[in-house]
Amino acid sequence: MIATNIRRLSLYLLLAFASVPGALTWWQVLDAQQLATRQDNPQVIAAHRSLPRGSIFDARGQLLASSAVVDGISQRSYTDPAFTHLIGYASLRFGATGVERAWDDLLTGRTDPNPLRELLNDILARQPDPHDLTLTIDRRLQDFAAAQLGSNVGAVVAIDPATGAILAMVSSPTYDATGFSGDPDLAQAAWDTVAGAPSNPFLDRGRQGHYVPGSILKVLTAAAALDAGAITPQTTFPDQPQQEVDGFVVSGFTIREHDLGSVKPALWALSPALQVSSNIFFAHVGLELGANRYLDYARRFGLCSGLRIGSDARGLPVDPSYVSARTDAGCAPFVDDVELASAAFGQARVSVTPMQMALLAATIANDGLVPHPFVVRDLRSHAVNPANGPVATALETYAGGGGSRAVSSQAAAQMRSAMVDAVDGPIGRHYAGAGAVSRYGVSGVLTAGKTGTAERGPGLAPHSWFIGFAPAQQGVVPSIAIAVIVEGGGTGSGHAAPIGGAVMAEWLKLTGAGG
Amino acid sequence: MELRLLLPLVILVPLGFAVTHIAQTGALDPGPLSVAIGYVGLMLAAHIALRLTGNQGDQLLLPVVGTIGGVGIVMLNRLPQDLLGTDAFGVRLGMATTQLLWFGVGIGAMLLIAARFRDDGVLRHYKYTWALAGTLLLVVTFLFGREVNGARLWIFVGPLGFQPGEAIKIVLVVFIAGYLAEKRAVLSEASARIGPIKIPPLPYLLPMVAIFVMVMLIVVVSRDLGTALLFFGIFLTMLFVATGRRSYVLLGLILFVAGSFVAYNLFGHVRVRVDNWIDPFVDPSGTGYQTVQALYAFGRGGLFGEGLGQGLPMISGRLPIPALPTDFIFAAVAEELGLIGAVALLALVMVLVFRGLRTAMLARDDFSSMLAVGLTVSLGLQTLIIAAGNVKLVPLTGITFPFVSYGGSSLLACFVVIGLLLAISHRSAVDAALEGRGP
Repeated sequence: MIATNIRRLSLYLLLAFASVPGALTWWQVLDAQQLATRQDNPQVIAAHRSLPRGSIFDARGQLLASSAVVDGISQRSYTDPAFTHLIGYASLRFGATGVERAWDDLLTGRTDPNPLRELLNDILARQPDPHDLTLTIDRRLQDFAAAQLGSNVGAVVAIDPATGAILAMVSSPTYDATGFSGDPDLAQAAWDTVAGAPSNPFLDRGRQGHYVPGSILKVLTAAAALDAGAITPQTTFPDQPQQEVDGFVVSGFTIREHDLGSVKPALWALSPALQVSSNIFFAHVGLELGANRYLDYARRFGLCSGLRIGSDARGLPVDPSYVSARTDAGCAPFVDDVELASAAFGQARVSVTPMQMALLAATIANDGLVPHPFVVRDLRSHAVNPANGPVATALETYAGGGGSRAVSSQAAAQMRSAMVDAVDGPIGRHYAGAGAVSRYGVSGVLTAGKTGTAERGPGLAPHSWFIGFAPAQQGVVPSIAIAVIVEGGGTGSGHAAPIGGAVMAEWLKLTGAGG
Repeated sequence: MELRLLLPLVILVPLGFAVTHIAQTGALDPGPLSVAIGYVGLMLAAHIALRLTGNQGDQLLLPVVGTIGGVGIVMLNRLPQDLLGTDAFGVRLGMATTQLLWFGVGIGAMLLIAARFRDDGVLRHYKYTWALAGTLLLVVTFLFGREVNGARLWIFVGPLGFQPGEAIKIVLVVFIAGYLAEKRAVLSEASARIGPIKIPPLPYLLPMVAIFVMVMLIVVVSRDLGTALLFFGIFLTMLFVATGRRSYVLLGLILFVAGSFVAYNLFGHVRVRVDNWIDPFVDPSGTGYQTVQALYAFGRGGLFGEGLGQGLPMISGRLPIPALPTDFIFAAVAEELGLIGAVALLALVMVLVFRGLRTAMLARDDFSSMLAVGLTVSLGLQTLIIAAGNVKLVPLTGITFPFVSYGGSSLLACFVVIGLLLAISHRSAVDAALEGRGP
């Protein structure tokens, strides 16, 4: 009896034991490939540990990032903290960000621009060749912009409006990511230091900072209304002068003007309204344009959805900007005319990134075409000694491409004219005059611009904004468009405009366009 | 025959040491080989001692155990030696050396039992005393046990620590064997009914409930899921062998599942284990870390393994799987020896289990038979629970792989089991010889 039961038991045990080889076969054979390619697999990490990694150079071949393998561990060094946010870091412990992340496959050589060689690498299980990157940014301008920001918390984004090439992209405060690779314990200590610092240095404010734009958004409002025919440069709103005093009642809500100082309200057309930055005027413009058209133009300028610096396949993601409430699908419809009117002068629930505002300035500068931004100019074979600069020939070069039309070139020209007045007009020069490149040793060049003072609520100093471009004479192709934000910097004229003017002037000097 | 069967391990264990040593350092020096030579010497000495004491028990047991243990000591020797180990006599002993020492102690205990316990009266007649001793030990563990890695299963007497669970396991088998063998004699076919549901008669039901309560207490108080599962599994298997009723096993399983469900909802540590089992990749760097790392190790191993000493157990100076020498030694074997090696290791355990069951079938009386079944199943189920836990078939529980995992208490208990099996098979052989026929 017991013997029979034992025989049956041995059969059950045999079956139970057979389940383990079954599961082993799954993990060790059938699913092994999937396991082997997971990023947190120590095998993958160990392979990365000693993998050579390409260097990153500035537009003039100056070394910004390079790797050296020390004791079998690849260590990454960065030469210039002004580039930290843009280039990011590549760390075995903390992953990768910025250009290091988006171009990781090319830097490591995991992807080869030559498909044949990539296939051969795969077949022969060959160690792939790393590649070097060259940025569109001239280190001198980047450093200058970083120095201008100084200890302020904020960001500067500068673009070549005609091509979309990023000319400077600085976020402050910054940090040094050199210690993030190499010895894990030291890396952790370096990381903790940055994480514990005030004002969140990890945040790339140019791409990920969300700010109320204030008056700089009036540029979008006016350009859209000009393009749609809702206004002309001569359009005036007869009720506006009195409303500057009494307030503008929209759907029972009273919109009030900001402090105009010594300026007396008058019947303003676009140029003077932009010079004094009349909220009431632009509230009218927004209502004239209407909610649907406003949202439509916001999308044409690139708001309401994320964008990429680079291509969709390989680029730095920029957080979406919004003119109304955020939804997963983009900008929500305006809830009422009050929100529309407030958004038209840059308040309400508008939230924008400095990158998007630089594109707004670049679009006006570029005859109404939104340039496609890019920051990696070319790909080259790995230079053995990166201190001597990149190899001579590029394997591939990148460009931003055509860009998409936001407004007509006529509307852009009208807007450019108003923005020149905003910097240089009889009233405007008191507000945005500090943004004029002529103040920084560049003569014979007009500057277009707009300041913004983004209210954040009681007790908080407003954010200081400036957007602009130069040279801004009609018929001249501007060589730089810029957006500057100084967090809690107060008025736009006080902090952001001087930085914007100085950086643009520096670029004109560096490129020999200014005298 | 035993000597011939020992031959493979005599060659393979030193070879394994040499291969891992060359793979790791690129050179061969005789230092680490001393552990291998010590191990082989120990096994040969055990063989000679068994012959000298006239043991006529199963000659397959020692060679199979020696080979399984050989895989273990090769793996342990190949890991960094300062991970675990002991300070004895003012000398710091490395992991493999400590394990070798415990092999010595275990084999000593095995020989003693094989030679002395040929009359099992002590076990058979004092089964309630044994049960009481086991219960006391359990209560002491509950009260004074020290928590290691979230489970309270260690008792320290001065500097010496041991896991009472290992001793309780054997005592439990002895008691159940004695109890069932006795009850079997008095009631063969009787069952009670509650309405349409047939339930086991009281003599079976009572211990079932008692052991179930004990098991649940282990889960709750000691947080030792593996031991709880093992104890209940041993009891149900022995109940099945004694009665032949699959329904009792089913009832027990239902009880266990219900108890587990309650435990899952009431106790965080149970929930974490089960959630990690369902999908360890939800938190691959936190609670699911060890499981995920073990799966990676399996994946790296593939069909033929990375080769002895060529696996990737260390990452920047740390073990990716902290419990590698104990709970995850099977994953380490599968990584370096591949699917083939892991299955071969399991096959060796199966051989051990079948030899144990054969001993049970040839035993002269019910008690010996039940005892052999229980002891064998304790080894078999323990292997199954930890191996299945490693490959994520069942939630992972912290128990050892018999003869392979690092750990003195476990090793000693396993050798006690082998000693008892040798004693039982010796007695059957002698009895059979007296009756004038071979076993």
